[in-house]
Amino acid sequence: MAVSTLYTTQALNSACSISTPAKTHVGFHQKQVVFYRRSSKRVGGGGSGVITCSAGDSQTVVIGLAADSGCGKSTFMRRLTSVFGGAAEPPKGGNPDSNTLISDTTTVICLDDYHSLDRTGRKEKGVTALDPRANDFDLMYEQVKALKSGIAVDKPIYNHVTGLLDPPELIKPPKILVIEGLHPMFDDRVRDLLDFSIYLDISNEVKFAWKIQRDMAERGHSLESIKASIEARKPDFDAYIDPQKQYADAVIEVLPTQLIPDDNEGKVLRVRLIMKEGVENFSPVYLFDEGSTISWIPCGRKLTCSYPGIKFHYGPDTYFGNEVSILEMDGQFDRLDELIYVESHLSNISTKFYGEVTQQMLKHADFPGSNNGTGLFQTIVGLKIRDLYEQITSSKAAAPLEATKA
Amino acid sequence: MATLRLHSLTGAREEIPTPSFVSNPRMLSPSFHCNKKRVSRRMTVNAMGGGAKYKGTLMREKKLTEMIEKKVTEAKQVCEGDETSDECKVAWDEVEEVSQAKADLRLRLEVEKKDPLESFCQENPETEECKVYED
Repeated sequence: MAVSTLYTTQALNSACSISTPAKTHVGFHQKQVVFYRRSSKRVGGGGSGVITCSAGDSQTVVIGLAADSGCGKSTFMRRLTSVFGGAAEPPKGGNPDSNTLISDTTTVICLDDYHSLDRTGRKEKGVTALDPRANDFDLMYEQVKALKSGIAVDKPIYNHVTGLLDPPELIKPPKILVIEGLHPMFDDRVRDLLDFSIYLDISNEVKFAWKIQRDMAERGHSLESIKASIEARKPDFDAYIDPQKQYADAVIEVLPTQLIPDDNEGKVLRVRLIMKEGVENFSPVYLFDEGSTISWIPCGRKLTCSYPGIKFHYGPDTYFGNEVSILEMDGQFDRLDELIYVESHLSNISTKFYGEVTQQMLKHADFPGSNNGTGLFQTIVGLKIRDLYEQITSSKAAAPLEATKA
Repeated sequence: MATLRLHSLTGAREEIPTPSFVSNPRMLSPSFHCNKKRVSRRMTVNAMGGGAKYKGTLMREKKLTEMIEKKVTEAKQVCEGDETSDECKVAWDEVEEVSQAKADLRLRLEVEKKDPLESFCQENPETEECKVYED
């Protein structure tokens, strides 16, 4: 029999605010038993005076996303939350500079909120935001662990406009918690809490091209300043951020195209989805025949593509010592029927209906990457995460109820 | 609803309905990519179509723009001595931080067409920040 510590609770609504100290070996939460004195009409089985919170109610699936592109506002985040349904919005009525996004099912937390040093502090100590010394991993671990166990937390807010740490905001445990930022997989305790992790790996040439697009209109910026900024951050990036990719369950690698010789505009992209084998509740996407090696150019007699066309590759590989499957797309979609055609030939994409990937891509046609592998793979990863969530929650509901042996 | 017939790689014939929302294939054209137009200046003039609505947002925009310029200058100065020094790294990291913050704001306003202060200002319409910007 599992013994839980007694806590007083203020309200029992959707999430039980009690943590259970013991976990099963697969990390599922045991049923949580609540004893209270006053009887309430809300309780169905009021005779015995016991409320049981089923584990399904307070189950939180935690996803980690490592990206160097700002927080909770990136295109990837928007696609992810869109797949789960609903639009993610900043918390209503709170700090307008909050980085958090909340939708019906998902809460996205920006890991910059766990900076231990604000902008002035970092300047004094001579550390960049990329440096682990600027971040409070103990707090990050405690709060992610609490949210995962169904306990709400008061999370600090890092204000990117003022560069200061603002008073905390209350975060309630959601069904799906996404932690996005520079260091989701840096600390091994936090890493162990993640049910799935993604690393967005942008190559230097593409990063440069994107930052030019982002910054050239700004007064003060020039090609040189953009380049200098990337170069100056590179040592810390390579030392602290890049090594996280070996731990990721999925890596989305963005490279310049190989279809156009000497292309340096970064508009046509070659994107590789590197998927770890053997991850629980995650079956990698494949082309035609799982585990084989495929080279596929969909353009031909049935499908006409405009220059430079589309090229796919799929096959097994190893990545930092792990067995992986890699699905790669080079080129871009110019027409809807190209996208539908490609979707119909991919397997294990975890769609609920035919054309769901296409529909999601069209929904956000104005987002960057909607016509190439970045949008395609981000959307597919979103669907895989939905699938993972449903597998985890349904297997928990099926778990035998044993806590009432007392 | 139009349907497509496709031969999948396994050779089976499938009837695939095209979703009815598919009306504008142009939506996938590359010109939709954000980088084509330099629209950041347009925001400060046009409050109507997807620009800043509240004074607070305009103030933030302005502040971020000024900070970018100021911090680039600072970084260039600091790095003149030693490009590999910590001070130089931190200075450019600050430039990156404010550049990204500005870009996020721009994305919010242009693509999502939502003023970030919307929900705050509904609760607090009398504050200075929530004055509606008039052209």
